[in-house]
Amino acid sequence: MRIRRSLKAAALIAAAVVLGLLTVQGTYALWSASASAAPGTVQSASFTMGMSAVPSGQTSTMTLADGTPAKLAITPATTLLPGSSVYGGVAVTNNTNAGGTFNTTVTAARGTVTSTGDGSLAGNVTINAKIGAVAADCNTATGYTTLTSAGLTSPAVPKTASTVFCFQVTLNPNAPASVKGQAVNIPLTLTARQLCGVPGGC
Amino acid sequence: MKNSTLIKGTAAIAVGAALLLGGGGTLAAWNAEAAATPGTIVSGDLNVTAAAGVWTDRAGTVIDINTYKVVPGDKLTYTQALTVKLTGDKMAADITLTGADSANNFTADNVAISPLQLKKGDNTVATRLAPVTGSPTQTVTASTTFEFKSTTATRSDVNTSYNLGNVKYTLQQVVAGQTGLS
Repeated sequence: MRIRRSLKAAALIAAAVVLGLLTVQGTYALWSASASAAPGTVQSASFTMGMSAVPSGQTSTMTLADGTPAKLAITPATTLLPGSSVYGGVAVTNNTNAGGTFNTTVTAARGTVTSTGDGSLAGNVTINAKIGAVAADCNTATGYTTLTSAGLTSPAVPKTASTVFCFQVTLNPNAPASVKGQAVNIPLTLTARQLCGVPGGC
Repeated sequence: MKNSTLIKGTAAIAVGAALLLGGGGTLAAWNAEAAATPGTIVSGDLNVTAAAGVWTDRAGTVIDINTYKVVPGDKLTYTQALTVKLTGDKMAADITLTGADSANNFTADNVAISPLQLKKGDNTVATRLAPVTGSPTQTVTASTTFEFKSTTATRSDVNTSYNLGNVKYTLQQVVAGQTGLS
């Protein structure tokens, strides 16, 4: 009984091997050759925008290592007097390591202006902005326009290039005496966006 | 008695001479021969060699994949020319491609990757190959495209990588469809 079973099993295996050899003929022998290649690794670029504030001298990347937006203080060097202006700016540099074209555009938008004390100073300042080439341009009073809620958008900033956002804050010449000694906080949001630089790519 | 011995000796010599005559053909008679050269059997050849692969950007400019960093809107193409040598009257071979160790870290929605494909010179998909007339070699091209979609938002997939791994091109002779070869 046991021998018969063994014989049956052996016959089945033999049949399977023959069938296998017949159906996939050519893979067990015959010539073959092969060539290998390693196409490589596709790597994506970084989207790093450097910021440098004037006159405070603070520097930071636009996005911190943990992915949160950086906060930068401009802190004007002089105090505000009725009718006078203070200046400050932020130089934004496109520090990407992209292989191809990588142009960016930066927009500065103002948030809600608040001030200390009774808050009257906030309503007596006007905020103007302009795009400069270098940080020193910010101290030149010409070229400033009111910073609207739509914000100010820079021209294209290519790789390694930079643009300077200049801000001018002017105190109303007829400001009430109550604004004396107050400090005003003007939040400005900078947003960098990639421009399509590849023809037909976007 | 002595006579008898002599007679016996003579008879033996006579028999020997008769035997020599009986082996006819070697001493005389007709004779003919013919010569032939059966020829030389020459075996064919089968081989595949891969040229260095080339990466190009959307504009067709060659780039160095080791240093190039893609941004949304980029489209890269990899092409590699394979020289296939096939000779033999009944030669036929299948070319196949196997990949290993590829690792894609990009978000699926942000990229469009076409699988690595083998194409013949006439741009049809290459599988079964036969010798071509006029040349022992023919070219098969392996290619793939990688597109980093411009719809990628925020800072998605910055500093990410896609390793295509190792690719192996195998040329295997087959007998299928070749009558008389099995």
